[in-house]
Parts: sequence; C-alpha cells; structure tokens
Amino acid sequence: MHRKLLAAGVIAAALVLASCSSSTDEAATDSTAAASEAAPAESTEAAPAEEAPAEEAPADAAPALTTDDSNCAAPENFCIGLVTDTGKVDDKSFNQSAWEGAQEAANVTGGFAKFIETTDPKDYLNNIAQFTSKAYDVIVTVGFLMGEASIEAAKANPTTNFVGVDQFQGEAIPNLTGLVFPEDKAGYAAGYLAGLMTKTNKLGAVLGTDTVPPVKLFGEGYKAGVLAANPEADVTIVYHEPNNAFNDPEWGAAEAKKQLSQGADIIFGAGGNTGNGALIEIAKAPGAGETIFCIGVDTDQFFTVPQAQKCLLTSAEKKLKQGTADLILAAKDGAFPGGNFLGNTGLAPYHNTEAVVPDDVKSQVDAVIAGLADGSIETGVTLG
Amino acid sequence: MTTTDPARTDLGFTDPDPRRSGPLDRIPGILLPIVSVLLAFAIGGILIWLQGVNPFYAYWVLFSNALGSSEGLIRVMEKSTPLILTGLAVTVGLRAGLFNIGAQGQLLVGAVGAAWAGYAFTVPAIIHLPVAIIFGMLCGAAWASIAGVLRAYRSVSEVITTIMLNSIAIALVDYLASRPLKEPDQPLSRTPAIAESAALPSFGIIPSGFVLAVIVALFFGWFLVRTTSGFRFNTVGLNPNAARYAGISVKGTIVLAMAVSGALAGMGGAIETLGVTGRFEPAFNAGLGFDGITIALLARANPIAAIPAALLVGTLRAGAATLQFETGIEPEVVDVILAITLLLVAAPIVARLLFRRRAMKQTTVTSRWGS
Repeated sequence: MHRKLLAAGVIAAALVLASCSSSTDEAATDSTAAASEAAPAESTEAAPAEEAPAEEAPADAAPALTTDDSNCAAPENFCIGLVTDTGKVDDKSFNQSAWEGAQEAANVTGGFAKFIETTDPKDYLNNIAQFTSKAYDVIVTVGFLMGEASIEAAKANPTTNFVGVDQFQGEAIPNLTGLVFPEDKAGYAAGYLAGLMTKTNKLGAVLGTDTVPPVKLFGEGYKAGVLAANPEADVTIVYHEPNNAFNDPEWGAAEAKKQLSQGADIIFGAGGNTGNGALIEIAKAPGAGETIFCIGVDTDQFFTVPQAQKCLLTSAEKKLKQGTADLILAAKDGAFPGGNFLGNTGLAPYHNTEAVVPDDVKSQVDAVIAGLADGSIETGVTLG
Repeated sequence: MTTTDPARTDLGFTDPDPRRSGPLDRIPGILLPIVSVLLAFAIGGILIWLQGVNPFYAYWVLFSNALGSSEGLIRVMEKSTPLILTGLAVTVGLRAGLFNIGAQGQLLVGAVGAAWAGYAFTVPAIIHLPVAIIFGMLCGAAWASIAGVLRAYRSVSEVITTIMLNSIAIALVDYLASRPLKEPDQPLSRTPAIAESAALPSFGIIPSGFVLAVIVALFFGWFLVRTTSGFRFNTVGLNPNAARYAGISVKGTIVLAMAVSGALAGMGGAIETLGVTGRFEPAFNAGLGFDGITIALLARANPIAAIPAALLVGTLRAGAATLQFETGIEPEVVDVILAITLLLVAAPIVARLLFRRRAMKQTTVTSRWGS
C-alpha cells in the first residue's frame, strides 16, 4: 500500500510540477521587474522564431548582403546579435520591439541578424559571448536587468559595439550606448491627451516610486501635459513607497479605485506590475472605455496587459524599435555614439478607443508629439 | 522485508516480494533511466526535426559546446552543482518515505541566508566561507523542518506543505531582498554583494562548489548504506510500522530526514550565492529545486547516481543557448526533453499500479500514507 501510494504521489506531483515550476519562475522574474520596465506578459510559445531577415532584403538594397554569420569578421559583412532579457522575442514588449529594430537595421544594411533568448539570468554574459566569439559587429542587450552584464562584456570586447536597451550609462564607454528615453516627453503627450479628453476635469496617476528617475519623469511630464492642455484640470499623482514599488498590483488597484471614487475619469498607470494593477482595476469600473479610461506605459499595453484593453486609451510609449535600429545604423556608419542615446517617445495606437477620441483631439496630440520631438515644445520638467 | 538490504531501496522500483513480480520488475535498475533518457532524446529529436533541423547536428552542437571547451565545462559544472544538491535533497527525503517537493523553497531560503551571512560579517575567509554555507544550510533545514514537524506530529502530507512552503518562500525572499536586506541606493530587489572573504574559489577550472557537491553526494552514498542513521531513514521509508516495531523513533526520523533534506537544498542555494551569483537576486534561482525532483527520480533515489543525473541536466541547460545560436531551435526544447524523461521514468510506476490490482489485495500492510 505504502509504496504504491507513494508512487501515485510521485506521478501526481510530476504532473503538477510543470505548472508549478513555470508559475514560480514567472513570479520570481516579475519580482525584479524594475524601474520603468513593464513586466512582460506571458509569451506565446508557439510562434516560430524566424531569423532570416537578411534573405528577405532585396538584393539591390545594399552592396554587401550578409546571409549568415560564418564570417562576421570580414569588413564587408555586418552581423547583428540580440540577447533578450529573460523572455521571448515575441513578448509584445521590450524584447520584441528591440528585435524588430534589429531586423529593420539588418534589412537596411543588408546585414545578418540573430537572437538568443535568455532562459536564466545567470546566462547573460555567456549568451553575449556566443556573439562575440563569432565577431559580431553589434550586439543588442535588452533591458535594465542586463545593464551590468553589458558593461562587463563591452569592456572585455572593445571592438564590438553594444546597444544597451533601457540601460542608463553612468560612466561612458565608447563601444556601449545605452538606449534611454525622455520619459517626461512620453508622459507629457499622454497628459496632453488626457487633459483634452477629460469630462470631469479630474485626472489621476498611479505610479511606481518617485525615487526612480524615469518614473518621476513620467509622472511630472504627465502633469505638465495635462495642465498645458487643460489648465482647469485637477491632477492627482500618487507614488508607491520605494520598497517593492514595481510589484504591488494590489496597491495599484486600491489607489486607482480611490481616484475613481474621487471623480477622476482618466488615470495613468506606470510602474511595472503596480501600474498594471491600476490599469486592470480601471478596466473593471462601470463605464470603462466609454467615460472612464486608463493610459499605459513603456510599450503598447493593449498587448502586454490584455485585461486592460477595455479602458486603455493609449500608452505613453518608448519607441524602442526605432531607437534600436538607429543605433545599429550608427554603428554601421562608424558613428556609434557611446554613453547614452535618447530615443523617441510617443503614444501607442488608440485601438478600441479609436472612435471615442475626436479627430481634432488626435491632431492636436499629434502636433504636440511632433513639437516634443523637434524641441519646439518643452515639458519644463527637471528633476531635483 | 528488504530492510536487510537498505541499499536497494528505491522508491518501490525494486519489489521486495517475488510472488508479485511481473515482467516490468525484471528491468535492471540502471536500464530504466538510461532507456528513458534515450527515448526522451529520440522524441526531442523528432521535435527538432519538425523545426527543420537535423537532430543529430542539433545534439552534437548541444553537447560539443557544453563539453568541448573549458568555458563550457565550467558552466556545466556550475549549472550541475545546485542540481546535485537539490537532487540529493529529494533523494534523502524519498529514502525516508518523504516526497520533498519543497527543494525550491528551501534552496531560496538557503540562498538568501548565505547572502546575508556573506555580506553582514567581516571575518577571514577561513571562517567566513564555512559560516556562510552552514548558515544557508541551517536556513534550508529550518524551512523544511516546518513540513517535517507537521508530517511527524500532525500527519499533514509533506507533499502539500512543501508545495505551500515554496510559495511562502518565494514571497519571503522577495520581501527580504526588497526590504530589510536590500542593497541601498539602487532600484533592484537584491542584496548587497557578498564580501570577498565569503566567495567560493575555483581550483583551476573546477569550481570548488562543484567539488563540495560531489563530496556531499559521495558522503550520502556512504551514509545511507553504512550508518545507523541511514538505516533508520531507509527503514522508516520502507515501512514505518515495522520501523516503530523495531524501536526506531519514526517521528524523530521523519523530522531529521526532512531537516537534512532542507539543509542539502539550502546548501545548493548557498553555493549558488557564494560561488556563482555573488549576491541574492530572486530571479537568479528559478527552477533549480524542481530540477532536483527530476534528478532524484532519474537517479532512482541513489545519491551517487545523482551526480551523473545532475551533470546530464546541467549539460542540457548549459548547451541550450548555443543550440539556439547555432540552429535557431528554441532553448525550451531542453525542458521538453527533461519533462519527457521524467514522465518515462515515472511511467513504470503507473504501469505497476494498473497491473497489480490483484496482488495488492493480498497486501495486508497499511501505512499512514493510506489512512
């Protein structure tokens, strides 16, 4: 009896293990979702990992067409490697945007692009080394969490250019460029839209901690944008306390509820899972998508937080794809900047609210985004 | 009863009663895991082939990268080290009739404990290193003892409690890494870096953590077969009623076995912190405890066999990134191969359950498991 029941236990446990282990992996990963990086949504496993953009490029697009990485060291060949943060290249978030940027750059230059998906954060350096051992020209490392690995790899491989997506560089290394974003501009554009769209003249924001600069820039930019569009409006911004700032969805939901009950009709949620908690809560409110809206952050959260689709007006977006492609092209042209490179920001598509947002509001917001990009509009936000 | 030959105790794979033997029982002990692994590789090979890659080439890439260079070997050893220890943790539990699914939680608690001990003191390495490892082991032991005490004195199934304690451990270490033990002045949830004096050195290319893990595995190979305590573990695992009748304290043995199991998992976490990651960061230890279950079952609860089993899993994990780099196959194929292996190793037990109904009716021995 004993041993058979033990055996039964073994089987039962073996069956539940798969789900156990994947869910704990996820929990452990999420807990470090930090700074301005939204926690990646569940990745779709089934999508095939295509990686032959170079072959799709028209042969006349570039003089030298690199079709594989057998001889990246040759000057006429251009090889682009990308290492994901723990996640897949089709995560609809940072990894995917950066990979699309790398593919675009490969198409433009006639180069070759390949990726490695990190499964264990301890492997960051080793995965980068796969590319350096084959003399890749540019290596893109995605995400804040890879910052230290990128610095170490860049110092060890001075002839390889590294693009660190969302990695602010405290100390400039010539062959490592941190792709960072003026969050205040993205927040400003979102705030401007919110200021034009509000009916109650009350707006809210539920954010991660103001001790992390990108979050504060989002928040202050949002406030400035609202007031620029609608000086009458009343903006309430709450920041989480510094500890556990990005992984407290319950707090985010509670604060969103509070702001809704105080009459806010558009709420900006930014700060990993904390902000996502706010978005999901707002999507449950009566009138969500009609009179009550939420605004996401970083990437198009219509895809990363599908539970918030009902209320999602737009997302204050970092244009990762474009920034990644621009930096790779700069490396190709021998004009790799090093230090930090400011990417563009903007707003994600309206999706479900396309019909709700009036055309004149859309054009005003577009004008503001263009103004922010060319510098004719300043957010007036400074930290400190 | 087989209590006279405790070394052969292996989860019921070896049937003590010859009258109940069927065709499946004549499979020699070592054949089942080897056949399971080969079959899993064959099925994995079909999946690789379906993705348009020659499976032989893919496996060659996987193994040649992991085993063909000193960097690869170092990584295989680094990856295998915590797996040997979590495999042993599950093994020791199984020998005492306990299914410890909580190795992951115990490893996390051990890793964070060692991280704290690693940065909080300034003492010479000769003291600091052992203190940090032992502190990590004690944390893991304490964590597992919760389940052990509940099992021994309240008959609460350790399968349930260890799974629940895993979740609590994840929340606990997240809390510790983001609040009391957090490295100040930076946004990540992680502890400060450990002191130089607590870092595990390498002997040439061989990480000392790996050496330690192998020594511990060999020790348990001896301990479970040649010592009185080991004999108690095996006896309680085989038949708690007989053990009680023979004068063995079943409750005490269960608590001790669970504590030892937790200490081993905690040691795995401590070595990760002190030898590989250099600090505690919650995401850095995912999945190690669950691989331990695969390893223990693959090794058929034999402590020494846990070494090759862990090396196999470690090699697959170390080679996964190169596999994707060279062939474009997603690294998760390794998880698929391991999952199939686990299913195949466990399948004969299912077969027995199905084919032995009649034999079971003759059995009069009941146990706490059944009640």
